[in-house]
Amino acid sequence: MQATMTFWHKEWLAAWRNYHVLILAVVFVIFGIEAPLMAKLMPDLMKLALGNQLPIKLPQPTSSDSWQQFYKNTSQIGIFLLALIFSGSVSQEVSSGTLVNLVTKGLPRYAVIMAKYLVAVVQWVIAIGGSFLITWGYTAYYFPDDKSPHVWLAIWPVLLFGLFFIAVVLLGSTLINSNYAGFLVAALVFAGLALLNYVKAVKRWNPLALVTDNLDLVRGTEKITHILPACGVTVVAALVILGVTIWTFNRKRL
Amino acid sequence: MAILELQRVTKQFGDQRVLKGLDLTVPTGSIFGFVGENGAGKTTTMKLILGLDTLDSGQITVAGQPVRYGQTVTNQVVGYLPDVPAYYGYMTPTEYLTLCGRLTGMHQPDLAQRITQMLKTVDLPQNRHRIHGFSRGMKQRLGIAQALLNRPQLLICDEPTSALDPNGRSEFLDLLASLRGEMTILFSTHILTDVERISDQVGILHDGVLQVQGDLAALKRQYAQSQVQLKFASPTIAKQAVAAIARPAVQTGVHVTVPFQDDYGTMVEATLRALLAANVVPLAVDRQETSLEDIFREVTACRQQ
Amino acid sequence: MHNSDLFFNNLPLVVPLMLLELGLLVAALVSLYRRKTVRHGNRLIWTLAIVLVQPFGAIAYFIFGREVD
Repeated sequence: MQATMTFWHKEWLAAWRNYHVLILAVVFVIFGIEAPLMAKLMPDLMKLALGNQLPIKLPQPTSSDSWQQFYKNTSQIGIFLLALIFSGSVSQEVSSGTLVNLVTKGLPRYAVIMAKYLVAVVQWVIAIGGSFLITWGYTAYYFPDDKSPHVWLAIWPVLLFGLFFIAVVLLGSTLINSNYAGFLVAALVFAGLALLNYVKAVKRWNPLALVTDNLDLVRGTEKITHILPACGVTVVAALVILGVTIWTFNRKRL
Repeated sequence: MAILELQRVTKQFGDQRVLKGLDLTVPTGSIFGFVGENGAGKTTTMKLILGLDTLDSGQITVAGQPVRYGQTVTNQVVGYLPDVPAYYGYMTPTEYLTLCGRLTGMHQPDLAQRITQMLKTVDLPQNRHRIHGFSRGMKQRLGIAQALLNRPQLLICDEPTSALDPNGRSEFLDLLASLRGEMTILFSTHILTDVERISDQVGILHDGVLQVQGDLAALKRQYAQSQVQLKFASPTIAKQAVAAIARPAVQTGVHVTVPFQDDYGTMVEATLRALLAANVVPLAVDRQETSLEDIFREVTACRQQ
Repeated sequence: MHNSDLFFNNLPLVVPLMLLELGLLVAALVSLYRRKTVRHGNRLIWTLAIVLVQPFGAIAYFIFGREVD
């Protein structure tokens, strides 16, 4: 525990000095502002693009448009940015040999993985949370309608999916000594889950539901209970993958 | 008592047997030179001692405690300087040493004091400069600081001098020698003169086992091949000398080597008398000492035959 | 309706966005010129990417171009 805390401090210093915190903060704040902005601009942009001769009247943007943009950004770009940033987290330390010294000094190997995982999770929670609050504020101000009754419900599945996705990235980074292994493995897993969605029977159990059904959750057209099985699978999978990562790392030559 | 003991240690990578029943004993308080050719398995042995890799069979004990892979009890008494130390470039030396100190169980304010002291010892400035701008030599010195930080009983250095220039090497050896009495030191090298300069104990690793190990002075006596080398003005004169000496002698160019078992004084006296009688005068008479290199050549050569 | 209207009607959204991108641009350029070397490409290419392709150029620089230590 003591060692995990020590290594946790080291990981934060690394995240800070390697500009990872800065990148995540800037990108997710941009996401937070961009969602309501795009929703607000959309009719005007369409008008500019198509000219004023447009016969049909464009519908006024709603809060739902803002949230649609938000979940598109976070679950399609944000989560991959996270994967990219933590992609070399383990592999880079193994290939450069920086851990040899620390492990010989008494750093338990599980502490390396646990600290890296927790630091990534905290960064994810802060990033997504901050981004959410910004969108929430602007959306409430610009679109005070009743189109998004369950705003506070829909964000939790995204957070949960992050726990799973970060575990996959760390596993990839531990298995293969390449800087982009973590990202590639995570992308492959994401693609695999997307393919799995074509099987109707597993849709409710597929972790991917946690980042695809958010808009329906916001609008209230889908109940959270519908994706509870997927939430369960995601949490269990995250824990199992984290366990496998530690097991693999315990057997790795540093 | 021995601070480090390896018994019948074997290790193989794929079908290559690197260690074939290695026995190694490092007496407490000694400076042990661990000699072997590149690729003989010195680094592997050290990683096993540190619990960084798994043993195939055999046992390793550090300060009476068995070493287990991934378990770090024994590492609290060991300091390790890797051959190429790798650091986090985004840290300052102070931050890195603080990380190391915390992991070995040191606490503030003792830790901060010790870091200031160690940085002074290895002559690194204590400021905001980060490690990524450090030269090779500075990194090596930081390596020493981190290895000595928790006042280890046993210091293990892997090829510590091979990357340093002659001055750096000399300074480093002086530093190691100055630690005599404070801790036991095991250092690997393929530079034999380094061992002769500071070690009192030596072990030669060849073909997966220690071919010799023990007190350097005793080994020299054991392997001593007493011989005298005479130098002459020309090969022709040297040839005449061999004929005149009337005992077994080997000529190589202008040199004549005469092995002997008896007393040095009587042997040289007899030889010189014989030479003078034949009107042959040597330019130089040289008593040859056994060097570690001779021992190394002998033990590695006889195994190859 | 003009482009400038789009801008001035949405100041509370546009101004923070522009400040963020400006900040990122400056941080990336400072980091780039404090280092001697970069990964993938050279300084000129990264400078152009950071300045011309906002904000992706700067983000890409921090992830791919910055020398890791």
